[in-house]
Amino acid sequence: MSTLELEDVNGYYGNSHILYDLDLQVDQNEVVALLGRNGAGKTTTLRSITGTIPRREGRIEFRGENIADDSVDEISNKRVKLVPEERRIFPTLTVHENLLLSRDSCKGTEPRDVEEMYDIFPILDDLRENNGRNLSGGEQQMLSVARALVQNPDLLLLDEPTEGLAPVIVDDLEEILEDIVSEDVTVLITEQNVEFALELSERAYIIESGENAWDGTIDELRDREDLLEKYLSVGVEE
Amino acid sequence: MVDAGIVIEQIITGLSIGSWLFLVAIGLSLVFGVLGVLNFAHGVLFAIGAYVAVTTVQSAVGNFWIGVVAAAVVVGVIGLVIEMGFIRQLYGRAEEDLDQLLLTFAFVLIIEDIIRIIFGSGTRQMSPPAVFGFTVSAAGFSIPAYRLFVIAVSFTVMGAILVTLKTTNFGRLVRATSSDRDMASLLGVNVPRLYTMVFVIGAALAGIGGAFAAPLQSVTPALGETVIIEAFVIVVIGGLGSFVGTFIGAYLVGLMIAVGSIFAAGAGELFPFIALIAVLLLKPEGLVGGAEA
Repeated sequence: MSTLELEDVNGYYGNSHILYDLDLQVDQNEVVALLGRNGAGKTTTLRSITGTIPRREGRIEFRGENIADDSVDEISNKRVKLVPEERRIFPTLTVHENLLLSRDSCKGTEPRDVEEMYDIFPILDDLRENNGRNLSGGEQQMLSVARALVQNPDLLLLDEPTEGLAPVIVDDLEEILEDIVSEDVTVLITEQNVEFALELSERAYIIESGENAWDGTIDELRDREDLLEKYLSVGVEE
Repeated sequence: MVDAGIVIEQIITGLSIGSWLFLVAIGLSLVFGVLGVLNFAHGVLFAIGAYVAVTTVQSAVGNFWIGVVAAAVVVGVIGLVIEMGFIRQLYGRAEEDLDQLLLTFAFVLIIEDIIRIIFGSGTRQMSPPAVFGFTVSAAGFSIPAYRLFVIAVSFTVMGAILVTLKTTNFGRLVRATSSDRDMASLLGVNVPRLYTMVFVIGAALAGIGGAFAAPLQSVTPALGETVIIEAFVIVVIGGLGSFVGTFIGAYLVGLMIAVGSIFAAGAGELFPFIALIAVLLLKPEGLVGGAEA
């Protein structure tokens, strides 16, 4: 049984039809990349999983249970945690308060220790008492991942984690995420930074205009320069 | 030349007015800060609190403190019904703000009439609890102990709110949800339930405010209308959604009302509105501007 399975999922914002009969499957402890151009529907796909899209149709199963009609908090409490593209750190709460809030709001499982997060993200340790609004983009991204992680996710959804980050921060983040994905967690990651996604993942889906365009293993994808150029407009370094 | 003695007396009166105005405005500010709902009915909830306290004290129960608790409970339950039964239906609408304003205004009219039907149109009055039935004298001035007590209550409520916001998860939830409710949902927070809790707390605070203000005010069915306007002036001056701003705003308005009345009859009522216009023109986010919430 897959951890996450989407079948014939359609997503809408008002009258705009964004996702068309999308299929997607993520197995236990697998890291899957969701790739595609800007506007292909990657973020909308994640939103249809978390329930934050205004209207979705189709079957969305998490651990064999249909979650397509659940509310956002119900889905979250099934241990499906999103690290949103905009990071969405609570601006008037300190770093430590952001983590405490996340820990104390955790339902459905035992949360992880906040101190453990400071071990994983040493950069946050010195910023404990800083307000969210005073953090740099990289610091906010670290906190956003830590905030999801402290809730001990079963499925972690990472939406464009490297967007807008300096290369040196991207390297730090990659190291940390490599450690995280080696643990007992299933990950679905969207990225514009294709090389970053390929490094972390085992399989990938490419979507184009809200439809499935291709799926397969990362090794297969690396051999398909045509796909990378057609759908992602990149050449991958060997 | 105004006599310094009169000025000091009016300052004391102003602090007393500010203290109970704070108890009204803080619930309004809390509900706006978290839910984004401008609750016009907050004033009538305050009036209900005052009536419940007067009725309890003048009934067989005859105990002021039971009256305060009864006011909090009765008004809290009314708040529960208003939020779950009505306001909740409006969240997420395109014209959400206008609809909420109209809805809560409808409750002003309905509740005011219900008050008239149940309690009549006359004025009710009650004495402060016997334990505060004395005056405190110092340096030639005397102030009723009950007024000092209500000032102390306002400081205690403010302190309790700040401590709760800073040190409890409920407080962190309130602060987080007021800036990003969707992210709070993504962390597993049941936001509609939190909204109901906050609205009930806001309503209960209005009830408590009404109960504590009852010995200082003539209690009439129109009490809610007067009070809601002053409360709105306070939260705008202080900064919508800011609790410290509400505290400062309440005492400023209390002082302006009392001290202003020295200069000309009715001037005291005018000053808060001048201040309101000045704040809207010069610092529209308010004196404190929602910094902590």
